[in-house]
Amino acid sequence: MKKLIVIFLVTILLSACSNEANDKIRIGSVVTTESQIIAYIVKGMLEYYTDEEVELINNLGSSVVLHQAMLNGDANISAVRYTGTDLTGTLKQEPISDPQKALAAVQRLFQDEFQMTFFDSYGFNNTYAFMVTQETAKQYGLEKISDLKDMASELQVGVDTSWMNREGDGYEGFVETYGFDFGRVFPMQIGLVYNAVSQNEVDVVLGYTTDGRIASYDLVVLEDDLQFFPPYDASPFADTDLLEEKPEVSKALQRLVGKISTEEMQRLNFLADNNLIEPAVVAEEFLKENEYFSGDDTP
Amino acid sequence: MTDMTQLSVVEQFFFYMRENGSYVFSQFLAHFQLSVYGVLLASVIGIPLGIWISKFPKASGPVITLANIIQTIPALALMAIIMLVLGLGKTTVIVTVFFYSLLPIVKNTFVGIRNIDRSLTDAGRGMGMTKFQILYMVELPLSLSVIITGIRIALVVAIGIVAIGAFIGAGGLGDIIIRGTNATSGTAIILAGALPTAIMAIMADVLLLWLEKRLDPTKRKKLRVAA
Repeated sequence: MKKLIVIFLVTILLSACSNEANDKIRIGSVVTTESQIIAYIVKGMLEYYTDEEVELINNLGSSVVLHQAMLNGDANISAVRYTGTDLTGTLKQEPISDPQKALAAVQRLFQDEFQMTFFDSYGFNNTYAFMVTQETAKQYGLEKISDLKDMASELQVGVDTSWMNREGDGYEGFVETYGFDFGRVFPMQIGLVYNAVSQNEVDVVLGYTTDGRIASYDLVVLEDDLQFFPPYDASPFADTDLLEEKPEVSKALQRLVGKISTEEMQRLNFLADNNLIEPAVVAEEFLKENEYFSGDDTP
Repeated sequence: MTDMTQLSVVEQFFFYMRENGSYVFSQFLAHFQLSVYGVLLASVIGIPLGIWISKFPKASGPVITLANIIQTIPALALMAIIMLVLGLGKTTVIVTVFFYSLLPIVKNTFVGIRNIDRSLTDAGRGMGMTKFQILYMVELPLSLSVIITGIRIALVVAIGIVAIGAFIGAGGLGDIIIRGTNATSGTAIILAGALPTAIMAIMADVLLLWLEKRLDPTKRKKLRVAA
């Protein structure tokens, strides 16, 4: 029995050691299509510009899980992090509505508290937005969120599970700012909301502005007229130690800054969500089209 | 670009395979690799362990009970427990597969060696063979097909477990299945992940079954008699 336990422990230790020993770069990404496309883009860039071995840690449940994975050392790069999510979620700060100030705040706080680097934005802003189908919008003359006020108590609304309990820019904050709550709210996985609204299972959903399915289902995005939702500018994110140790990794990530617009991201998401092309393939083609962003090499 | 919603699931499936074939293939290999690593690790430890408990029958009870207990833990739960120690990623999945593969491999090695006719090992001893020679030249060859049965069962189970491993970021065909559940017209994507997984399991089963039959000495004897 003793021998057996020893064998078990040795196996676990050995595999744990081998895990520590090879310092692969591990990119964490969450379940969203966007995160996965960006993860493969980052992977492609790192493999193109550095000799590092790169591995993906895919399908993590949420940005909280992803951050935990970074703290544990399971991942040392996050494919994409959003200013709004991290400001209120990970850093537990009040939401900041000015994009520049929000970015500066997360960059400073992550560096001070966690020794992690929040890069400048990729160039797209994936904020939350309420959306309805064309028919609903026409029928009730909906353009902005305030238009929902009079009928709110009869509405069935589908939202992201994590949004429900989020502090600051979550449901509670929304009710405070806009002064009404909805008849019934169905928390669901974010990928399902677009389908739910287009099938008329619910009347209104809360989705992401870069989602490709907005175009494929021809949804109307309601304007956030009271500017409740903070900016969710998307950035690369990495361990500062890793970047200092391997400056070429930092350079490769820096090449992506400002290179992917919101429309471009919507297009990439659309390719994956609607045209059945895998994020890995979408990313590879995107990098080839843009020649791995080698254009601004100054000799 | 064709409008996907106009296509049937079968058409979507073939469209998907055409567009992403090489990606699916690379995930197929990654999936198979994880399964094989786990089962190999279990073989390296499980076969000697099985041999050892066949020599010391007193130890066989606790060892097999322990392996049985591990087997009763649901795969997702075991993986979550191991994740607490080893973190996310491939290592955790390999270790989970290792634990699940132990029972069939240890048990089959044990049974394979115990079921050998005593007269055969006695004959070996009578010829002046050392213990190691008996093990190496009599017992192992005779029990090899039973041991392979254990490995076959372990590998088929392993392929199923690795599919769940996608939840903790290990990749493999499970990645494709999870993506299918999130995509607009996901049925085809789910199939594109699930069918290769099933095919892999069937292939592994058939291949090892064939190997098992080849290595079964009783069948070989019959062939020789017939000839």
